[in-house]
Amino acid sequence: MSEVRFPERAATALKDRFLQEALTIATTKFIDLRKESFAGFPDGETLRDRARSIKEATLQKLHVHLGQLADNVERLGGHVHWATTGAEACDIILGLCRDRGVRMVVKSKSMATEEIDLNEALEHSGVTPVETDLGEYIIQLAHERPSHIIAPAIHKTKGQVADLISDVAGRRLPADPEALTAAARIHLRQKFLEADMGITGANFAVAETGTVVLVTNEGNGRMVTSLPRIHVALMGIEKVIPSMTDLAVFLAILARSATGQKLSSYTTLVRGPRQPGELDGPEEFHLILLDNGRAQQIAGPLREALYCLRCGACLNVCPVYRQIGGHAYGYTYPGPIGILLTAMLRGEESVKDLAHASSLCGACKDVCPVRIDIPRMLVDLRQHLDEHKIAPRAERLVFSLLRRVLTSPATFRMSAAAGRLLQRPFARNGRLTGLPFLFSRWTQARDLPPVAKKTFHERWKDLR
Amino acid sequence: MATRALFLERIRREVEKGGEFFPAVTASRPAHPSDAAELVKRQMAERWPEALDRFKVEFERVAGVFHRVAGWGDVPDVIVEIAREKAARSVVAWDESALGLDLRPRLEAEGLSVAVGGTGAGDENARRRHREDSARALIGVTGADFVLAETGTLILLSGRGRPRTTSLLPDAHIAVFDRTRLVESLAQVGILLEALHEDPTRAMSGAMINLITGPSRTADIELTLTRGVHGPKDVHAIFVGMP
Repeated sequence: MSEVRFPERAATALKDRFLQEALTIATTKFIDLRKESFAGFPDGETLRDRARSIKEATLQKLHVHLGQLADNVERLGGHVHWATTGAEACDIILGLCRDRGVRMVVKSKSMATEEIDLNEALEHSGVTPVETDLGEYIIQLAHERPSHIIAPAIHKTKGQVADLISDVAGRRLPADPEALTAAARIHLRQKFLEADMGITGANFAVAETGTVVLVTNEGNGRMVTSLPRIHVALMGIEKVIPSMTDLAVFLAILARSATGQKLSSYTTLVRGPRQPGELDGPEEFHLILLDNGRAQQIAGPLREALYCLRCGACLNVCPVYRQIGGHAYGYTYPGPIGILLTAMLRGEESVKDLAHASSLCGACKDVCPVRIDIPRMLVDLRQHLDEHKIAPRAERLVFSLLRRVLTSPATFRMSAAAGRLLQRPFARNGRLTGLPFLFSRWTQARDLPPVAKKTFHERWKDLR
Repeated sequence: MATRALFLERIRREVEKGGEFFPAVTASRPAHPSDAAELVKRQMAERWPEALDRFKVEFERVAGVFHRVAGWGDVPDVIVEIAREKAARSVVAWDESALGLDLRPRLEAEGLSVAVGGTGAGDENARRRHREDSARALIGVTGADFVLAETGTLILLSGRGRPRTTSLLPDAHIAVFDRTRLVESLAQVGILLEALHEDPTRAMSGAMINLITGPSRTADIELTLTRGVHGPKDVHAIFVGMP
């Protein structure tokens, strides 16, 4: 996606002072809200275990649940489409637009549509996509990408937002979130009423009942599924769950993990198109089931990543995400889970740098509502990248040297002495910030602590 | 495009290759959802006062406005009061059969126009007219099919006489309910949803269920919490019943 490599993107982010401040405020706030919410919720830990178990059990019979979901959607009068790749999913939607004379589409926030670059595809075909989640709307006006899964525009100042929305409104608006939100409401309300098609993702889909579940705070998910004459829902195959009882388990932990709310403002359960006797709702409902690299991980090393609910909790606690933000990752899904999802959807080659954008501290695993062992998979991924020579050569060379040094006491002592001597010209304020040659790739984006004056062995000898 | 058969066959093969990551089960569902739902209702017939107290606390925590009246006949007074505060001229409401009362006599006497989401099948024109009425109305009045105490949530089923947009398009949403609607926990809601779908042709006529927890909100601009971004700015709950 991005021509610039990860270390350069990260370096740019580190120099952006507003971004740094915004990231700290946002992630700290989300962490506190989540913590508070689970602290007052004694059942939380048990429910997290149950949710994890449901995800695993569902994967063990995924084909059965997907078949049942499709049967039920069709029984309710909906249409089901199967997309092996993102391009196929785009073609299905473009085909629907063409056949039904759709000129404008309103979208509720959906990572799956970001993943398949749907907006570009629609624009190329002369269909206007309008993002209606306020954050996504701002990002669309700015021609950018979301920087956080649940807060897409946290990298924008209210001044920047005022510029963007003033252009649309045709009058100068103050840099006041309330006024800007009100202006966006008026503009987007018109779009909801005019659009021919509404496109959503799906947080869950209940196989037993054929129900697609959307969780939103703004109500745009409800608008998009209530006003246009066609509703299209695009979901990854891993979003299916068996029953309404399972849904209750997930709802209890999803919003708490994402924003610290007990429930988001709106949880919307959609079963097919408008039924006889209903005055509103779409005439047509289409469900697109998207594979796009997911199926091959059912038996693959990234299986656990298929449990992900897209709550964003792992982003907030990640010391790397907190420093560089979502754009530096360069793909649709940022943060620790984003590295794994990118490997899943775009192949391992695309994460040869990103695989190292984690300190393996384990904070992500601790907060994940379904306890995905992200650090374990990152370590396995790094090993795989090394063994299959996908990792950059310089990196592999450094690590093979390091292995020799660390496995022989004599070489270790010698290298420590040599390191102390050689590092002198590069140490600043007790950090190594600009090393030459092979090591420069490390210090471009990260500092390195210098070799200590004495090794632990030497200090131990002195103490005795 | 992939066909269903090929798509699912491929997944089946992967599932077989993948085996078990760990032994896992899904949530245990009630064997007889309707019976389980009856049990919930019997429990709540005893415990509704505690549930109501909890609902009030949680509903107000998410910026909801709670009202309590003695009887159904007092409901229009509250609506008239809210309309006065908002300087509203028009109201949209669920049909009498779904709401439990006819608002028109009293509200129209106050000079308010009332559009009702009727139960007639409705042709294209009726649908367009109702949509225009709903988009114009400042106040939408609905019932609530379940009222969830632990989260302060109003749960609304769409269907005949109960349009999904009545609680969405107007600036203010007012939900009216009595003690028979109260439940305590999300787990109970799971049971009730199972029961609704056991025979959906009988239990529900519509295609949408909304769980509504407070007003529409966003924090997308510098994390500043703002209400009414797309849906209602204000949500009112009117509980009908004496202590």
